[in-house]
Amino acid sequence: MSRLTDINGVGLGLKRELIPQIQHHFQQKTPDDLISNIDFIEIAPENWIGAGGKYAKQLAWFVERYPIACHGLCLSLGGPDPLNTKFLKQVKQFLSVNKIPLYTEHLSYCSDFYQNKPGYLYDLLPIPFTEEAVHYVADRIKQTQDILGQRIAVENASFYIKPPIATMDELTFLNAILAEADCWLHLDINNIYVNSVNFGFDASVFLKGVPVERIVYSHVAGHYLQKSDLLIDTHGADVSDPVWSLLAEAYALFGAFPTLLERDINIPPLDILMKEVDTIASLQAGAADVKQRTNSVAA
Amino acid sequence: MLDFQQYQHAFTAHIRDPENNPKPNNVDEERMAVYREGVYNNIFEAASVCFPVCQETVGTNYWDAIIRRFIATHHASSPIFREVPKELVTFLEADTETSDYIKQLAHYEWVELAVGGMPTETPTLSKETDLLNEVPVLAPAHMLLQYDYPVQKISAQFRPEQQKTTHLFVFRNAEFEVNFIELNPMAYVLLKMLKEGMTGKQALTELAEQIQHPEPQAIIDFGYGVLQNLMQQQAVLGSYSS
Repeated sequence: MSRLTDINGVGLGLKRELIPQIQHHFQQKTPDDLISNIDFIEIAPENWIGAGGKYAKQLAWFVERYPIACHGLCLSLGGPDPLNTKFLKQVKQFLSVNKIPLYTEHLSYCSDFYQNKPGYLYDLLPIPFTEEAVHYVADRIKQTQDILGQRIAVENASFYIKPPIATMDELTFLNAILAEADCWLHLDINNIYVNSVNFGFDASVFLKGVPVERIVYSHVAGHYLQKSDLLIDTHGADVSDPVWSLLAEAYALFGAFPTLLERDINIPPLDILMKEVDTIASLQAGAADVKQRTNSVAA
Repeated sequence: MLDFQQYQHAFTAHIRDPENNPKPNNVDEERMAVYREGVYNNIFEAASVCFPVCQETVGTNYWDAIIRRFIATHHASSPIFREVPKELVTFLEADTETSDYIKQLAHYEWVELAVGGMPTETPTLSKETDLLNEVPVLAPAHMLLQYDYPVQKISAQFRPEQQKTTHLFVFRNAEFEVNFIELNPMAYVLLKMLKEGMTGKQALTELAEQIQHPEPQAIIDFGYGVLQNLMQQQAVLGSYSS
C-alpha cells in the first residue's frame, strides 16, 4: 500500500508510448541505472478507469513497482454543470483498488451546461477570478473531498485569457480557494511561468506568494512559444530554461519538494527524457529538505 | 445562474459554435482562437484515431464538418477519454445528415477499441471440454453484432447502396488482439443462445425446431463444426457445466 509520503523525489507522467521502454529497463522488480531516478509515476484516471485487457495488465505492472499519483483532467471543478458524483465514486474505487494515495485536479473547468444540458469539452478552460467563483469552486472541492474521504490537491492551471469580469488576480484566487477548501496545492511551475508571460506578471512574486505548507508535489513541463507574449502549455517540448530557473528558485525558497516531469506530445526516447528527470533529481540534491512541508502534508 | 457562470456560458457557447455565438465582450480574438482550436484539435484527435475508414470514406472536409457539428451540438456525457469515440458514435446515430451506412461503419470501427479495452474476469472452464453437453464459453471480451450493411467491406472504393444483413463476432484473444469473425445467420443465432446460458445441444436442438429442419442431427453436426472452428480461433475457450 503506497502512502502519501511515498509520493516523493522525482516523478514521471505515464504515457502509453513510454510503457514498453520503462518495462525494458526493469530486471524483475528493480529498475536499471537509466531510470533509477524515477521515484513515482503519475497517471490520469480518465485514461485508466474501466480499462481492461492489456491496459489493466500494464496498470497492474506499474502499481506493483511504483507509488502512483492520480492527476485528473475532467472533474471540472469550476464547471457550471453539477459535479459528476458518479465519476467521483469511480475515482474513489479506482484509487482504492490500485492503492493510489493521492488525487489532484486542475483549477479550471472542462464542461458546460449548453442548452441546459451538461456536456464535456475535454479541455482546461479558465475560471473567472471572482469572489463568487472562489466560494463555488471551494464548495465543489469540499464536496469532492467528502465523497472521496480524503484531501485532494488542486493545480494552478495555465490560461490564455483572463476573463474581463475577473475581480482579483490568479494568486489571490488560488490562495482564497486553498484556504476555504482546506486542500493541498499541486504546484505547476511551468504554468506559473506560462501565465506570467501571458499576463505580464512576475513569476518570482507569484512563487513567493504560494503557501508552501500546502504543496504536495509540483510539475515541470515544456511549452510552445506562439508569440513573445503568448506561451501555449503543450507539454510537447523540453523544459525551458526560465522554468528550470523558477524550479531552482522554488527549491531555494522552500527546500526541495517532490516534482514530476510532464511530457504529453513529441515524446522523445526514454533515454533523452530521462535527462530532464535527472535534472530534477540533481536540483533536489542541491537543495535543503523542508521539514515544514513534509510534516504538514504527511500529517 | 451566477454572474461568472453567465460569462462561462458565453465562452463555451462560442467555442462550440462560433458562427452562431459571438465571443464574450472584451476578449482578445487571438487568445480566443487558442481555445477554439484547442478544443477542436483535442476532440478531433481523440475521436479520429478510432475511425480511419470513416474518414477515408467521407473525405477530409466532410469529416471535419462532422467533428464541428459534434462539438457544436453534442452533450458528451463521459469524462473518460477512451469513451470519446463512443460519444461520436452516439452523436452520429442521431445525426440526420449522416447516411446509415456511415453510422454503422463508425460503430464497427469503434467496436475494436471497445473490445480491446473491455474489462473482463477469467472464466471458469471444465477440465474436459464438451461443447454439446455443456455450455460453451465465449472469449470474455466480445461483442456479437448485427449490421444492416457489410460494414467490414466499406471503403472509399466501396460505398454500399443496398442493405445486406451482416453478422460479426468480435473478440479479444489471450494476446490482447481483437479479431473479427463473419458469421452466417444460423451461427449468429447459435451464439446468441449460448450467451443466454444454453448448452450446445440445447441451443442446436432449439435452432432445428425453429427452422423446422427435417433432420435435427444435421443441425447439431453443423453447429458442432461451427463451435470447434470458433474454438480453434480462440473465440470459444472451452465449456462449463451449468
